[in-house]
Amino acid sequence: MPKILVADDSETIRTLLRTALGRAGYEVDTASDGPTAHSMAKEGDFDLIILDQLMPGLLGLDVISQLREDGVAAPVLMLTGVDDGTTAAESLDRGAVDYIRKPFDMNELLARIKSRL
Amino acid sequence: MVDIRIAEIGTFVIYVIDVVLLLALVGIKTVHRRRVHSHDRRRQEYLGMLSRHVSYADCTDPITPRMAEDPAFLDALIDVREVLSGHELGNLEEIVARHGVSARLTRYLASRLPLGRRLRAAVALAEIGDKSAAPAMVLHLSDREPDVRIECARGLARLRWTPAIDDIVARFAIEDTTVRARFADSLIGFGTSATWPLLAYVRVNHRSEDAGPALALRTVGRIRELAAAGAIHEVLAESPSLEVTIAAIEALGDIASPESTRRLQSLLADERWQVRAKSATALGKLEDGSSIPILSEAIRDANFWVRRNSAAALARLPDGKLALYRALDGDDVYAADAAAEALADSGELVAARRRVDEGISVVEPLLAHMESGD
Amino acid sequence: MLRELMAWLGYATVFYFVAMQLYLLGFTVVSGFVLRRSHHLGRFNRGTAMLSSTNAPPVSIVIAAYNEEAGIGDAIRSMSIVKYPRFEIIVVNDGSKDSTLDVLIQAFRLEKVRIPYRPDLASEPIRAIYKGRSGVDITVIDKENGGRADALNAGINAARYPYVFCTDADVILEPDCLVHAMRRVVDDRERTVGVGGNVRPLNGSRIELGHLISASVPTRLIPRMQVLEYVRTFLASRPAWSRLNALPLVSGAFGIWKRSTLVDVGGFARGHLGEDLDLTMRVHRMHIDRGDEYRIVYEPAAVVWTEVPDTMRVLRRQRIRWHRGLMTAIRDFKGMTFNPRYGRLGSLTWGGFFLFEYLAPIIEFIGWFVVPIAWVLGALSTTSLVWMLVLAFGAGLANSLTALLLDETYGYFNSPADTSRLVAMALLENFGPRQMTVVWRMRALLGGHATRSWGNMERRGVANLAKPTGTAPTG
Repeated sequence: MPKILVADDSETIRTLLRTALGRAGYEVDTASDGPTAHSMAKEGDFDLIILDQLMPGLLGLDVISQLREDGVAAPVLMLTGVDDGTTAAESLDRGAVDYIRKPFDMNELLARIKSRL
Repeated sequence: MVDIRIAEIGTFVIYVIDVVLLLALVGIKTVHRRRVHSHDRRRQEYLGMLSRHVSYADCTDPITPRMAEDPAFLDALIDVREVLSGHELGNLEEIVARHGVSARLTRYLASRLPLGRRLRAAVALAEIGDKSAAPAMVLHLSDREPDVRIECARGLARLRWTPAIDDIVARFAIEDTTVRARFADSLIGFGTSATWPLLAYVRVNHRSEDAGPALALRTVGRIRELAAAGAIHEVLAESPSLEVTIAAIEALGDIASPESTRRLQSLLADERWQVRAKSATALGKLEDGSSIPILSEAIRDANFWVRRNSAAALARLPDGKLALYRALDGDDVYAADAAAEALADSGELVAARRRVDEGISVVEPLLAHMESGD
Repeated sequence: MLRELMAWLGYATVFYFVAMQLYLLGFTVVSGFVLRRSHHLGRFNRGTAMLSSTNAPPVSIVIAAYNEEAGIGDAIRSMSIVKYPRFEIIVVNDGSKDSTLDVLIQAFRLEKVRIPYRPDLASEPIRAIYKGRSGVDITVIDKENGGRADALNAGINAARYPYVFCTDADVILEPDCLVHAMRRVVDDRERTVGVGGNVRPLNGSRIELGHLISASVPTRLIPRMQVLEYVRTFLASRPAWSRLNALPLVSGAFGIWKRSTLVDVGGFARGHLGEDLDLTMRVHRMHIDRGDEYRIVYEPAAVVWTEVPDTMRVLRRQRIRWHRGLMTAIRDFKGMTFNPRYGRLGSLTWGGFFLFEYLAPIIEFIGWFVVPIAWVLGALSTTSLVWMLVLAFGAGLANSLTALLLDETYGYFNSPADTSRLVAMALLENFGPRQMTVVWRMRALLGGHATRSWGNMERRGVANLAKPTGTAPTG
């Protein structure tokens, strides 16, 4: 079963994704801030990481950079809340494979996850 | 001298108040804490349950009427509503409808309940986004309480309930500044359909007042309906007011219709510096290369902000950066400074430095200019 | 004859303090109504529509920094993730004697640039301007030392957005503070020229990575006393003053101003010890004199946290400095005091400042001598004196308790220990701390010793408070 890490400071999103992704057949772990996400990603063996852009402590963008520096190769899907075109482009630049804006369509998210795994 | 009775009575009263306050403080702390904890716990449960309802089409978790009346349930509902779009929203809306959540909130809104309850109901209705509540919200656009009116406009915008647009714009004339500003905010949420009523309002009113039409124009700009450009040009031609003119220029920049290029370019010759400065910014947003020559002139304008905005605009235009480098090399020191800033902001400096670090030759003038002491 | 005079003086003194408490209580009640309404509106509001990003005017955050090497890197980084669509950060290094500038250069990969800088406002000479290469829109201005006001002026000069948010390097911003504050601007774009925010002491609270995790009331008396003071002024007075458009003070730690207004009024007064008070009053005066329609508002939901002095020595210096700033302001704006031309500001709030902030320590100090003498002379009846004092104490207590109740709207202090500490403080403060501040203010009045405008805070730095597993000095 593929393992996914969901990192977002919003409890709603963590719960929703845990349920929905669990239902879709994935094993899900969650983190609620940048540094935890970073350490969990380093240790755990995740097949996909879903990352929120704005979390306390560390920008999602910075987490990606740090992970790449640490050699973590798992694909990262960025969740961007601020409707700001540059952030999306920047996240792709930094190493994310995809980004999706909040509010998001669950079906679309699931489809994108499926295509990456 | 001072009647001791007054002092005694006053003191007695004050201490009674103190005791009451102390009890209230203690009471609120303890009771409130427990309520908040239990509320949070229930909210988390509901969150889990709603997640399941949303994810599993065949979810059978029961939702009892008592749950549906729980404010924690409302909280969870709103939380989920906020992050989802698309198909699952339908499931959620169906839950909301089935349990009469909006109906109850609408009743609170219409009742004579204390203001607090009514305000919370209005906010909740706006957040929940249930279409069945739309007629009630339209009705309450003329509620006696300004905050209720604001929340209703906001809710209608989230629903994109277009029949409400005319009602909202019609109230522009009678509302005070704050409410009007929030109404304008909501109108952006409606999208294109709000453009025409707003423009009509501008056409009728721009001769008699500034603030309302200016606000309406900026709102039209944010909605970004291309076809509105023509109407805005007319307003520009007719209005002598600086505030309205600036708002119109901003709107044209946001809309970025190619039709506006010529008009904006001609405004770069206006005698008012604010108009020139705003036009320069707007031309940058239009991203039309034909503006380069005229902006290259504007970068030598006597006014600081016109120079700055023109340089920033040039940085956005394809091939505009060449003009900036030329200005950098030119004889006008102020233009050179403005060009340097725009180049630095658009990343040229970073790119230049990187090339230097990598040992690749680079365009000298920028680095030289940045490093020149004076 | 003498007895009559002493009696009169004695009663007048005590009566004065009762009046003061009742005056404050009046505002507290009004503030209560204002806050209650925002509480209702915030209940289910998720804030997504609070300020549509297309409508939010861009803001320049200007930070004055002096000898902040300890925490400036982390502080600026945490400011950079404030939730707001468009803003720039300008840090003004006011000729620091330590390595503040180097820390900044390292942290943000700054390099010296030459860009247009227009001195709309006077300031000490600029040495250099730096821009960052690291993804945060940061500009650093290195200049000769000139004091906080001077540094802010330089920052305002460099600001390129229409609104300027002036603050300090040791302030922790809540992520949505800008949204809340600018919401007030957008609500009335034409008239709103200034917005003040809510400043809370962070001593005793848990901070991680430059963010507040949980707030608690410090155990030590000195910072605790200030927590109570701040709650009283920021929750029980300012909402009312703002509602009356008579806000005499927009805090230096959180002040958003229209840039053009700042330029019109000549910026901050260099070398002034109370530059935030002075600026606010000058803006009021300018607009009233010109007959403009304008507003300066206070937004309680726009919150920032700052470290307050936790030793007597530092607190004393701060209070002397504040009082000297107040003295200068009272002198500069005496034409506005109780002048009906200046509306509610002149007669109600500024008049109140004069009566109850400026005169209070004098009257109380004199009272320490007059009242006992009058009593000894038999001019004051013991019972009525006691009743009046008890009344004054009770009214003061009522003020504090009401302010604490209002603070419940925000729910920062959640444990019973917090409440009891604050209530205890409310009871204790009249038996020592109050008298202490009176002495200091008299010292300021009678000359005191000169303090430089920066004041030596002995900054521990936000970074040191931000040890991941630790807590702030529980002070």
